[in-house]
Amino acid sequence: MKNQLDNWVGISDKNNEPEVQELAQSEFVGLPIAETLSSESLGEKVTANRRDFLKYLGFGVGAAAIASCETPVRRAIPYVSKPDTIVPGVASYYASTFVSGGDACPILVKTREGRPIKIEGNPMSKMTGGGTSARAQASVLSLYDVNRFKSASTSADGAFTASTWEAIDKAMAANLSAGSNIRILCNTVMSPTTKKVFAEFQAAYPNTKVVTYDPVSCSAMLQANEANFGMKVVPNYHFDKAQTIVSFGADFLGTWISPVEFAKDYIKNRKIKDASHAKMSWHVQVESGMSMTGSNADNRIMIRPSEQGVAIAALLSALGGGGNGSGLNAKAAAAMATVANELKASQGKALVISNSNNKAEQIMINKINNILGSYGNTIDFGSYSMQRQGIDSEAQALLAEMESGSVDALLVWNANPVYDLPNGGAFAKAMAKVKTRVSFAGSNDETTALCNYSTPTNHFLESWGDVEAKKGSFSLVQPTITPLFDTRQGETSLLTWAKSAVTDYYDYLKASWATMAGSAGFLSGSSFWDEAVHNGVYDAGTSSSVPAFTDASGGSITTPNTSGVEIQFYESIGIGSGIYANNPWLQELPDPVMRTTWGNYLAVPIKWDEAAGRFKGYNGSGTKTVKGIADLMNVTLKGEAQKYSVVPQFGQADSTASIAVGYGRSVVGRAGSGIGNNVYPWMQIDSDGNTQYWAKGAEISGIVGEDEKFPCVQYHHTFGVTGEYDGETVNVDEVDIVPVGKGYQGAITDRSIVYHDTVGNIDGLVAKIKKKRDFANHLNSKTLYPYDEYTAELYSQGHHWGMHIDLNACIGCGACTVSCMAENNVPVVGAGEVSRHHEMTWLRIDRYYYGEAENPNVIYQPVMCQHCDNAPCENVCPVNATNHSSEGLNQMAYNRCVGTRYCANNCPFKVRRFNWLDFTTADLFGANQNSINGEEPAYYADNLTRMVLNPDVTVRSRGVIEKCSFCVQRIQQGKLTAKAEGRRLKDADVKTACQTACTVGAITFGDMNNHKGEMYKATESPLVYRMLEEVNVQSSVYYQAKVNNKKEFKNA
Amino acid sequence: MICKSLNFKLFCFLLLFPFLQVHAEGDIKVGKALFKANCAQCHNKNMKDDLTGPALGGVQERWEGRDEVLYSWIRNSQAVIASGDEYAVNLYNKWNKSVMNPFTNLKDDEIASILAYVSCMDDGSCAPQKVATTGGGDNTAAGAGGAVNNNMLYMVLALILGLLALILARTIANLNYLKLVKEGNAPASRGTLADILTSKGVIGFLVFSLIVFAGYTTVNNAVDLNRQQGYAPEQPINFSHATHAGIQKIDCQYCHDGARRSKHSVIPAANTCMNCHVAIEKGSKFGTAEITKIYASVGYDPNSKTYIEDIENVKSDSIKAVYTKWIETQYRKTNSIEEGTELKKSAQRVITAEWDGIVSSLTNDLKKELYGPIPWVRIHNLPDHAYFSHAQHVSIGEVECQTCHGPVEKMDLVYQYSPLSMGWCINCHRETEVKFDGNEYYESYENFHKEIKDKTREGVTVEEIGGLECQKCHY
Repeated sequence: MKNQLDNWVGISDKNNEPEVQELAQSEFVGLPIAETLSSESLGEKVTANRRDFLKYLGFGVGAAAIASCETPVRRAIPYVSKPDTIVPGVASYYASTFVSGGDACPILVKTREGRPIKIEGNPMSKMTGGGTSARAQASVLSLYDVNRFKSASTSADGAFTASTWEAIDKAMAANLSAGSNIRILCNTVMSPTTKKVFAEFQAAYPNTKVVTYDPVSCSAMLQANEANFGMKVVPNYHFDKAQTIVSFGADFLGTWISPVEFAKDYIKNRKIKDASHAKMSWHVQVESGMSMTGSNADNRIMIRPSEQGVAIAALLSALGGGGNGSGLNAKAAAAMATVANELKASQGKALVISNSNNKAEQIMINKINNILGSYGNTIDFGSYSMQRQGIDSEAQALLAEMESGSVDALLVWNANPVYDLPNGGAFAKAMAKVKTRVSFAGSNDETTALCNYSTPTNHFLESWGDVEAKKGSFSLVQPTITPLFDTRQGETSLLTWAKSAVTDYYDYLKASWATMAGSAGFLSGSSFWDEAVHNGVYDAGTSSSVPAFTDASGGSITTPNTSGVEIQFYESIGIGSGIYANNPWLQELPDPVMRTTWGNYLAVPIKWDEAAGRFKGYNGSGTKTVKGIADLMNVTLKGEAQKYSVVPQFGQADSTASIAVGYGRSVVGRAGSGIGNNVYPWMQIDSDGNTQYWAKGAEISGIVGEDEKFPCVQYHHTFGVTGEYDGETVNVDEVDIVPVGKGYQGAITDRSIVYHDTVGNIDGLVAKIKKKRDFANHLNSKTLYPYDEYTAELYSQGHHWGMHIDLNACIGCGACTVSCMAENNVPVVGAGEVSRHHEMTWLRIDRYYYGEAENPNVIYQPVMCQHCDNAPCENVCPVNATNHSSEGLNQMAYNRCVGTRYCANNCPFKVRRFNWLDFTTADLFGANQNSINGEEPAYYADNLTRMVLNPDVTVRSRGVIEKCSFCVQRIQQGKLTAKAEGRRLKDADVKTACQTACTVGAITFGDMNNHKGEMYKATESPLVYRMLEEVNVQSSVYYQAKVNNKKEFKNA
Repeated sequence: MICKSLNFKLFCFLLLFPFLQVHAEGDIKVGKALFKANCAQCHNKNMKDDLTGPALGGVQERWEGRDEVLYSWIRNSQAVIASGDEYAVNLYNKWNKSVMNPFTNLKDDEIASILAYVSCMDDGSCAPQKVATTGGGDNTAAGAGGAVNNNMLYMVLALILGLLALILARTIANLNYLKLVKEGNAPASRGTLADILTSKGVIGFLVFSLIVFAGYTTVNNAVDLNRQQGYAPEQPINFSHATHAGIQKIDCQYCHDGARRSKHSVIPAANTCMNCHVAIEKGSKFGTAEITKIYASVGYDPNSKTYIEDIENVKSDSIKAVYTKWIETQYRKTNSIEEGTELKKSAQRVITAEWDGIVSSLTNDLKKELYGPIPWVRIHNLPDHAYFSHAQHVSIGEVECQTCHGPVEKMDLVYQYSPLSMGWCINCHRETEVKFDGNEYYESYENFHKEIKDKTREGVTVEEIGGLECQKCHY
């Protein structure tokens, strides 16, 4: 495989099409006015002529004059009795835990004037070390979801009638009797106290059973561990102790079991601390579609989903453990031999995992780990995980029970089976045979719509609770606001119906925790409780233990398919199994690999034609992608056809396609409805009752149409990548513009954007970076206005802010992007606007491919404003709205900006965003809030949603540019803290929102003038470079080059 | 002007005269000092109203001349109660068994001095302080009036001078003309004033002046749009900073406790008011009319000195009963009308009017109940895109509140003293020096420190450490 280009972002780019070049030069694509006028259907709506214009002008001037006559009387409303802990204007932080199904993350909740506005990680947690996920970051927005239930209600035929809690309790007393066959259906419950409540309810109603399932489950792994170890649990994985990691399809950095914890541990052996003694773990991913974890792997082995069983068997047999790997494709089979050798070499430091939901395959994984001595080293059963407890067959058994009519009451606790079971339709029908159907869901969903009682539970930020994500590592959920609506904690409802002595869940929880105090070495329960609430986490400490391994066999592995198209279903980083579908922050978060937003898409493989030097077969939508257009194809499975926009995906195995689960919700709030298709009904259930997250025999039609609003940010805000030209490495943007005059700045220059190499050749990489940086400095010195001379005094004292980003650590998870949106009031624009390049994210994560075109490696590069000390944007602003501070910040004064957008045009990094519409409804004049193309009202239009806005950051109105400010509000706050304490500023005083969100510590921020600080130290690595250093913008963001540990596989 | 201020000085002197007289008598002067140091925390200094302790006026009469017992009561009241003195025990029970602090160090002559001061304050022979306040008020009014008069004076002067100039010009012109006539080269017709006024030059000049003036006024007024310097809205409570900060000398940050630690100075919660007003039930100016508003807003029943339980569910009629009863009781007390006697219609009107005032100030379209936060009118409004931190200026910059808010301690009704414009902020940042000394934070400004050490620099202004940059306030 010949490398045509060194780095590329997509097909059009790899083909070096002229549209991409054009795109890289123009900041604004498809200006809305021009688009509106050229569009015929919309053209009819645009009826404004000169007369109207004059009328509006006259009215506008008049209205402005009248509006300015009188200043409205504003009130200052104080507290009646001010709580001691609240000082208006000062944020308070409370320790709590983000919990939703099997996702858990200990957090600190930032509240202002009593309302939660931001989530930070809890650094006291040993599990996450203060890291967060995009989902945890976005959870604060779901508190202010306008679709939440406002009160308890009864429902008939999907129509809700508001009711009171007294009436509901009375109805329950009438409906539930000691003899009733009651089923509590839930996803994984990690709270020990909630389980106690279930037990108390079961004591009151002895015929109650708790049925646990997970939409994306580890059911087969639980069964396999029961067979091999007698423990039906997910063990604790120590990625920090693993030097060789082989993952069969498990997206452990993104979605699998405990990604925040795994990413934190995994990255410990991936960071290059000392370039002269570089060492890295080796990570192989065996998968069909490219997952986020696969994109971070050193080597990927591509298989069809049905080949996963034989691939595991091939590895097992190569390790001498038996197993028949026949049927595996030749390339993968050859690679398995190398993998086996490497694994053997790191005996005791190896870790093999799989997301397979086939019991026999999971038993083989256990065997492999047993041969490699992983148990007791990289896998531990002492502090086993509670994050996946669901057994798929239990849900199926419940369905059978319901169909037979033997269930009297169904209590749906934090689950949505009608949507996310493979046979959800059958479940919906069977629900009609259950007399009493109660849903605890906080907002409407497919299952709740079919229940006859809705008893909404509080949002987790309004609740008390506890979580035991791993055995012995507890964390508490603490309310940070009084319930916004007339909702009631689910546990209180159950305790009330069980006629418990204690129905208040706070008292119940406290009593439950008091029993732990003695063993924790506290004298009294209350001091233990106070400390636990303060810290939010409590580690009971467990000793590592591994039960004896018993060989077991059960079921059979999947038979590989050789023909037809197979579809792999995967969980997306943001939306997950579908429970987060109504969160617009997560909908707008681009998928790290596909770079798509607002929907699930069909990822299809790419085939490189060596002879033609182009792609063959389906060649993507070609240049249409650039314009926000994608081709539509029909996918038919089980007789049901669904239409998908198609994304050609590098690293997708032959004859396979990938689709994300969690989309296509039918009963959900505004953000999630009508987005994508539901693929759960396409899934199969195997003989052990486990759901298979892939399907065979799919039929994919040809192109059946065009998706004209394809919200993929692939080609948005690109700024040129390097490629080969006449044997030289050149900037693909500029090769056609300036074909002569090599070596001059702005002409054919190999721009420095990303650097990468293997760990074996790290010395070469260091030398290359040095050469490039020296050359850049040489170029920069050949100017009429030598930078150093003019700025010698400038940053010689005080602060000089800078950022360091380790590309080796960044895994592309997007937590920083969501954290930035929450901190800086970055608007949500919606799918249509994203397709027009109008996404507003201040921090984007660029994704570059390199290596083999069919199975490339990936670099993730977070790009935000580089705060250039010689900034090109500042020079072109006609009103000086953007200028430079003495601390090295590239300042943006919104109220001075008149919207010429010259700055965005002149920004080489394409990080400036323009408010094309009034996305946050900040405009004083209502007329300005209308959208010109008849879009729906902005997501922040509702006052409830606006409660999430950070009061320290200006809400921008239409017509101004905005961009990353290095979280200047945090800088100012940090400086104030240091001044108040009369000491020098420390690194810990100022941490940007992206930095605190990052699990893997890829982002360092600080004062470069503080030579003892982390930031200064970070810039000293020989792997550090600045983007586009040769154009003399003197940026303040330093990147550390990507290093991988890629190994050659012997050919078969 | 001069006569005005002279008058004022005289006026003040006359006001102070009684005090000067009092100073001549030694024991009352000593008594006053002792009273302030020991008694004023609990006993009202007007000697007529109850505070934490009873009003002291007529104390010696109440103890029926038993000065020895009274003296030992003052030194240690608990001992007198223990001795079983009937009056002492009754008094103790009447005041809900609240213990008076012992003052064992007071000598007999000192106690005599205090009692002398008490009786002199009670019978009014020592002047009450009220008059002095009025004097202060007059001062402000006189100052403001003077400024207006000044302008008028200038205008009149300008007019007179203009007229004089015109007359002189005319005289000179006439004389010149006469001279020409005498010399025999007088022109045929003489230019009249109308000719001059309608000449191109004059009209041109007038039009030009008009345009310049109109432009100047427009720009100035446009700049001032939405600025509210001098804004002094009526507040729901006639709260006087002059009384609290001026006379009582309560520290600004006692109530505005956010100023030192937050971006907001914080309008105090009603429970902060209650710290003092649980004891001070009547104001010096408005009696019960204003302070009762505080009680109504926090749900405090002054009759029984308890907070009304479960106030949110108490009917508004019974709330009305509580406060009208309180106002009536106090009215009777002030006007010495005994309980039980019928009140005159005029008295009832006073009580009703007071109640109506309370209702109208504490309720509005959004807030129907009396109970709840007091809807103060916000005076200082910064635009949303400007970030201002009180803590930075008060705690670190050590700027006095008055620098920006003006003489609040003299304001009965608070007004916006400063323009709160960006130019005003910027100007202060240009002129103000940073408190470099003693704050280690500023050590990172090494060059400045070196220059100060080398005596090449005196101080560092806020501007020099970046105080004029956009993102110091706009983010």
